[in-house]
Amino acid sequence: SGELYCSLPNPRNVHFESINMKNVLHWSAPEGTGDGVLYKVKYSVYGVGKWIRKPECRNINRTWCDLSSETSDYEEQYYASVKAFLNGMCSDWMETTRFNPLTDTKIDPPMLSVSSTEKSISIILTAPEKWKRSPEGEAVSLLQVYPGLQYNVSVLNKKTKKRWFFSISNNTLVVPWLEPGTAYCVSAQIYVTTPLLHSGFSKEYCIATLKEKMA
Amino acid sequence: TAGNKIFHFGPCRISMSMTEIRSSFTAIKANIQARDPIRTLSILSHPHSLHKVKSSDRCCITHHLFNFYVDKVFKHCKTEDSYVNRKISSIANSFLSVKRKLEQCHKQNKCMCGQESAEKFKQILANYEGLNVIAAAIKSLGELDILLNWME
Repeated sequence: SGELYCSLPNPRNVHFESINMKNVLHWSAPEGTGDGVLYKVKYSVYGVGKWIRKPECRNINRTWCDLSSETSDYEEQYYASVKAFLNGMCSDWMETTRFNPLTDTKIDPPMLSVSSTEKSISIILTAPEKWKRSPEGEAVSLLQVYPGLQYNVSVLNKKTKKRWFFSISNNTLVVPWLEPGTAYCVSAQIYVTTPLLHSGFSKEYCIATLKEKMA
Repeated sequence: TAGNKIFHFGPCRISMSMTEIRSSFTAIKANIQARDPIRTLSILSHPHSLHKVKSSDRCCITHHLFNFYVDKVFKHCKTEDSYVNRKISSIANSFLSVKRKLEQCHKQNKCMCGQESAEKFKQILANYEGLNVIAAAIKSLGELDILLNWME
């Protein structure tokens, strides 16, 4: 559609939503425009001169655009911009704030694997993977991206409601001296000190210690 | 103190209140970066990224950069917002104390400067001098996360 006269209201709230460095540009439709609005998207690397169009997000009617591939170098920072079209009219380009994948991504909770003996629980924690271009692509753990990554682990005795917290840097934790035949619930969070980031707590995994063997 | 981090630059060891600096910067990042309309130029990351600096040059570059921020950046970053100004002076004070520690290392020949670090810093200064003082200072401040990410 030819750009005749840019008096269309602007797209609103143009921003990146990033989880494990899957970086998706989102926006809201211009105020007061019904259906039929189309959009195009461009992005730029901060400090480099040019804007680059995203062909897969040209003349789209959805209000998001996956720019994970274009923003995968997390040593760089980025801007993205959206323009709206309707009935030959267009809006201004509306930009994001500066997006820094390393500090602006959200991290999923860790995955947990829990086993028990008579008097102890063993917990193995796995950090989520960084977004990758294709399922066959090389898996990169967020542990490699954030060397200062730690785990906060919560262990709850379901009977006494007593809770312990542990903060560990490696990915295994053994909690000893527990009561036999008792249910314990485990939950964990990722905590990064450089830069400051933390995930939510995972859902709880409950397991019972084995009953005491009769002598 | 909590949030302090020890940086090892060869024989030079520097402790720095990284958590405090990062949280102060995060609090004003959007405000400061919004005052920098120039997308096409970076002080620290282009044309040469800090991430390409050899480890032997890290101490000298860090020393140069802390002098740069204390002497040429913070003092030109006064805003009309007192909250932002307080955060800037908190960061500046932390940088000043690290600058002095790096100065000590330099005097004790623990923070040697080679040709490459001199070239690298010359490029950063050229980027800075390509803008007027206030714009260059605000842009440099808005790039603090680039410096902190590289250091860590």
